[in-house]
Amino acid sequence: MHAQGPEVVIRIILALVGLLALAYLGGHPWVRQAERRLRIAQLVTAGFPFVALGLVLALPSVGILTDEVLRELSPLLTFGLGWIGFSAGFRLDVRELDHLPKGSARAVGFATALPFAFVVTTAALLLLLASDGSRPSLANPALLRDALVLGTAGAMSAQEAARLLGDAARQQRNLLRLEELAGMIGLAFIAAYFRPQGDAVGWRLPGTAWIFLTVGLGCVLGMLSYAVLQRAKSPAESILLLLGTVAFGAGFGSSLFLAPMVVCFVAGVLVSNIPGDHRQRLRDALSRLERPIYLLFLVIVGAIWEFDDWRGWVLLPCFVGARLLGKWLAETLVRRTTAIDLGEAHWTVRRAPIGQLSIAIVVSAHLLYPTGNLPILETAVLAGAILTEVLAQIIARIGPKPAPESLALGVDP
Amino acid sequence: MNLLLVLALGGLMHAARSFQDAGSIAGTTLAFGFVLLVAFFAGGLSAGVRLPKITGYMIAGIVVGPAVIGLLTPEMVRDLELVDGVAIAMIALTAGNELDLKAFRPLMRSIYWITLLAVVGTAVLLGITVLAMKGILPFMQDIPLLPAAAVALVLGVVMAAQSPAVVVALRDEMEADGPMSRTVLGVVVIADLVVILLFAATSSIAKSMIGTPGEFSDTIGLLAWELLGSLTSGVLVGAILALYLRFVGRSGAALFVVTACFVIAEVGSRLHFDPLLVALAAGMLIRNLTRRGDLLHQEIESASLPVYVVFFASAGAHIDLSVLMSAGIPALIIVIARAAGLIYGARWGARAAGAPTEVRRFAGLGLLPQAGLALALSSIFAKAFPGIGDAARSLMLGVVAINQIFTPAVFQWALRRSGEAGRRAQAETAAAPAESGGLPSPSA
Repeated sequence: MHAQGPEVVIRIILALVGLLALAYLGGHPWVRQAERRLRIAQLVTAGFPFVALGLVLALPSVGILTDEVLRELSPLLTFGLGWIGFSAGFRLDVRELDHLPKGSARAVGFATALPFAFVVTTAALLLLLASDGSRPSLANPALLRDALVLGTAGAMSAQEAARLLGDAARQQRNLLRLEELAGMIGLAFIAAYFRPQGDAVGWRLPGTAWIFLTVGLGCVLGMLSYAVLQRAKSPAESILLLLGTVAFGAGFGSSLFLAPMVVCFVAGVLVSNIPGDHRQRLRDALSRLERPIYLLFLVIVGAIWEFDDWRGWVLLPCFVGARLLGKWLAETLVRRTTAIDLGEAHWTVRRAPIGQLSIAIVVSAHLLYPTGNLPILETAVLAGAILTEVLAQIIARIGPKPAPESLALGVDP
Repeated sequence: MNLLLVLALGGLMHAARSFQDAGSIAGTTLAFGFVLLVAFFAGGLSAGVRLPKITGYMIAGIVVGPAVIGLLTPEMVRDLELVDGVAIAMIALTAGNELDLKAFRPLMRSIYWITLLAVVGTAVLLGITVLAMKGILPFMQDIPLLPAAAVALVLGVVMAAQSPAVVVALRDEMEADGPMSRTVLGVVVIADLVVILLFAATSSIAKSMIGTPGEFSDTIGLLAWELLGSLTSGVLVGAILALYLRFVGRSGAALFVVTACFVIAEVGSRLHFDPLLVALAAGMLIRNLTRRGDLLHQEIESASLPVYVVFFASAGAHIDLSVLMSAGIPALIIVIARAAGLIYGARWGARAAGAPTEVRRFAGLGLLPQAGLALALSSIFAKAFPGIGDAARSLMLGVVAINQIFTPAVFQWALRRSGEAGRRAQAETAAAPAESGGLPSPSA
């Protein structure tokens, strides 16, 4: 052993075996069947072990995902964000929105605006208290930005929550997609109005211009994606072109210090809503790669997670509490002011879970603004996702059971 | 349409680059997506004029790379090397998985003779050529004759190296199968081992002769570690992959294979293992000791296209045309000598082994492509011989560049002329009705 000690080899072998065991558990048909039967979201069963793996591999005592390796792997993070954005955009079929019941816009407005407002207020106050004293003011743009990021992440509920619902799942899924759209708009505004400063940044433009640029870039990339994906002659070529399109879009957005997720989201919406047979091919390619890419993304997220900062753990209960308060108020207002059938399930089952898009939003903000309080927010959102998922699972089991035919949900229609 | 898309992508890339000197993370992702798309469409354009797609990938890399229009910066090209490691491991895994010892047994005699005469013979021939050019190679002029002969032999060994990557990629692209392409695959894989061993031996001798510090026992120790360590870890990786394929099957297997290749590339380089040998041993183990060889092949096939496209485009982007200009004439002479050595060596070797006519006529052409190993050894040479290494490396890079650009088309021509192109598809088509005919009907 010339460059590294034998202990490194042992660690690497253990990590490989660990990865094998996780992949085995995540990929085994029995485990996936059990996931469906128990209605457990992918985020908990398959996702968080990978976050934990990233955490463990990045520990200095383990030393596998070292800073150097992480630097090499960091483009995967940008790519993963673009991928998540593109997938979310592709799922937003505007034709389905025509079938939404009256009052849906109001319901989505309540469900996103109220938690957003509560979380932003709570987070701003807490971040003010936790700041290092250099600029302890609510007018501090970095503090406001971080609070807005957390508010945006808290505004949405997980798509996976629809698994826990009965007959109302399909309608709920469409409403949750609109919540995702609201989250994307929030992130686009944050990236446009809180521009990074410095010599490396070109094109000094007003914030509104960056909004137009984000949408325009997404549309151009969407049209390019459509033209590119039309050329695929086999599933392997579809995958290649999809990977290339998403990487190019995410890289382009990142180069302009825009949120790659939003740029790819717009492209995904456009591609999804142009009629043609490319949609099925694309859906196949997305469904084949979505899980692996998301799990790899989570390993890297776990590796960069600064979980030892106590401020994140203090923020966690406040974030979850403020968010649940906002969601509860939204639920009450929706019941009182609209005729939407919310089903029999308890409101926490529908509203509480935090999804992958919320995690991706804080990671995206962390990449855009490497300095500041973003690592604290990651702790709040990542740990909050586990906490709310567990809460929803417990309440779903105590409450009335959904109809049996809806138990196998999980694959988007 | 392909050309229009390439131009549109080029325009967008130019716009992105005008914003800033893209930071590392964004730049790498941007470069990866850009290279993947542009090279893919360039491959389509290349196929349109009956050239191999990989030639299109490489030309795209050269054109958009730092040497020509510079849409990719040197930093971006360096960052794409991450994919190179995965690609090399994946290619070696494919090559190892194709080495079915039972099927190769009838070819072993040809492989042995061709390796001896074509590969070892060409290394000696190239050594003599370099020595004969001592007067026109500035870095050789001040070295006395005997040490110069030793250095020339090391250079000959490096420049005799072949490219399993190109052979595997072209066999896949042309869906070729038959005695010629199998023999070529066997020779290039074994030649990799032979070249590594010869390089270690000759460079130790040359170092001791020109007074470069370095213990012979150290070199032997390093070599033993590299070979035995690589093979042992290859067996371990092969066992892990086989376990996954046995117990998990297809679910996420493509991702697992790519991850394993990434680990082989990254960990292998940290431990001084040769990723190529590690993956080769893993692939051979799965093919010859388990029943999962076909499944592994399918999984690699579905995941390999993007990796190959970026690998070959990145290889093109690495080509420094200025080096090619400066080392032009000597490099061209060496390319011609190398081609002659490999073609005639293979012909004589095949004749000595009593190989079929197509092997005699065309196997030598399959040995011409050159890529990764020669580049890696030229870097090691530059470090091992500090006084002359950089200048000699330029010459070696010039030779590799010429071979990279032109020889894939030559091998493609050989596959077509030998009648082996498309044979794999024909065999699969023929096997499909037979298999379905052999299965009991559901009603039965």
